[in-house]
Amino acid sequence: MANNMSSKLTYNGKQYTLDEEATLLENLEKQAVSVEFHCRDGHCGACRSQLVSGDVSYTTFPMAYLKDGEVLLCCSKSKKDITIKSLS
Amino acid sequence: MAYTTFSTLSNDAMKEPMFFGNPVNVARYDQQKFEVFEKLIEKQLSFFWRPEEIDVSRDRIDFLNLPDHEQHIFISNLKYQTLLDSIQGRSPNMALLPIVSLPELETWIETWSFSETIHSRSYTHILRNLFTDPNEVFEDIVNNDEIQKRATDISFYYDGLIHAVQFMQLHGLEQNEVPYVNIEGETEKLTLRDIKKKLYLCVCSINALEAIRFYVSFACSFAFAERDLLEGNAKIIKLIARDEALHLNSTQQMLNLWADGKDDPEMAEIAIECFAEGRDIFLKAAEQEKEWAQYLFKDGSMIGLNEEILCQYVEYIANQRMQAIGYEAPFVVKTNPIPWINHWLVSDNVQVAPQEAEISSYLVGQINSTVDSEDLSSFEL
Repeated sequence: MANNMSSKLTYNGKQYTLDEEATLLENLEKQAVSVEFHCRDGHCGACRSQLVSGDVSYTTFPMAYLKDGEVLLCCSKSKKDITIKSLS
Repeated sequence: MAYTTFSTLSNDAMKEPMFFGNPVNVARYDQQKFEVFEKLIEKQLSFFWRPEEIDVSRDRIDFLNLPDHEQHIFISNLKYQTLLDSIQGRSPNMALLPIVSLPELETWIETWSFSETIHSRSYTHILRNLFTDPNEVFEDIVNNDEIQKRATDISFYYDGLIHAVQFMQLHGLEQNEVPYVNIEGETEKLTLRDIKKKLYLCVCSINALEAIRFYVSFACSFAFAERDLLEGNAKIIKLIARDEALHLNSTQQMLNLWADGKDDPEMAEIAIECFAEGRDIFLKAAEQEKEWAQYLFKDGSMIGLNEEILCQYVEYIANQRMQAIGYEAPFVVKTNPIPWINHWLVSDNVQVAPQEAEISSYLVGQINSTVDSEDLSSFEL
């Protein structure tokens, strides 16, 4: 059961594989999902998304203003199954 | 309520609102009410750059080879950018510093405005290279009707706030002996809440400037560079865009902190009261930028960008930015009409090793490598 490769990233209802070493944005891009981004450094807020379930850890201080339950995809990683969706 | 440069009143900045509390006395950053402003200062300082570091000498040839209508697009865009940064290089300081109450926010405002002055200096750097005498270009900024229309709208909220705050700090708010005559020459009953409202609308207007107006001009600069033209200019604009993302972040923070009731409770009420007015400021800015696009492309389009595409981008970026501060997206456009702009806006791509770029301040062998035996005279084994 210790196979971490089976972690899943669910985005807008669709399931993708989750690479724990890559940011959520990189994960989606690698699987040909186009997601809004600008700075890729946590300060512009272009990749702000809704965290439905799961947890993220940030690789840099997320500077963009986040309301409760929102995450920045460009600078966050996840070790477990995670569900996110776009804001609009 | 006069302004004081160092209030001797002992106060706890952790309990102050962002604005209109006690004036900041000790500039201390060991504790922050809103950590993000400290992070913004650090980031902005780490972004420091100087216009002279970028070689723009090749741009002159590109510029001279452009057809007339493209020269018009390029120069008008540069004039507009010069105007925006002329305003931003001073106005946050003038308008916000006299009323700020948090040390980290005070320093952020100064850092922010300072970085805008670097932008202004870089426009001179660009123009000096393109023209033997750039005087005519600079002079047109105050004479050109199209640019004037924007200038008046941008400075309106700043000026109104500055005027009211100056009155309050000079006369107080009693208005028994001296009535308040506002900037338009009309008598107005002024309360602290009225001034807070002016502050709120002013920050909405700054936000629209940083969020939409700047990005429309960036799109034009980058469109030339996408065709491998005027690349020195684009390199500078890329650095400017990287800074502007931080400035935009800070005004979004202020608006969201107020709206979410995390700062002054009265500002939370004002955010609701002025919700529609704040929206109108944004929509008007978007409208003006579309008119600007019409002016830019009046004599013809350029490859990769025309009036229609730029207008779609205005709507697209307005949607994004308005959603970031709690408004519904007002326009139907869903996807970015110029997706190539994103790679110009990536922050971590900007950093280049000094030896790889033409950076004048990067000196090889700064240490004196000639050693005289005299230098070792005091050396013992």
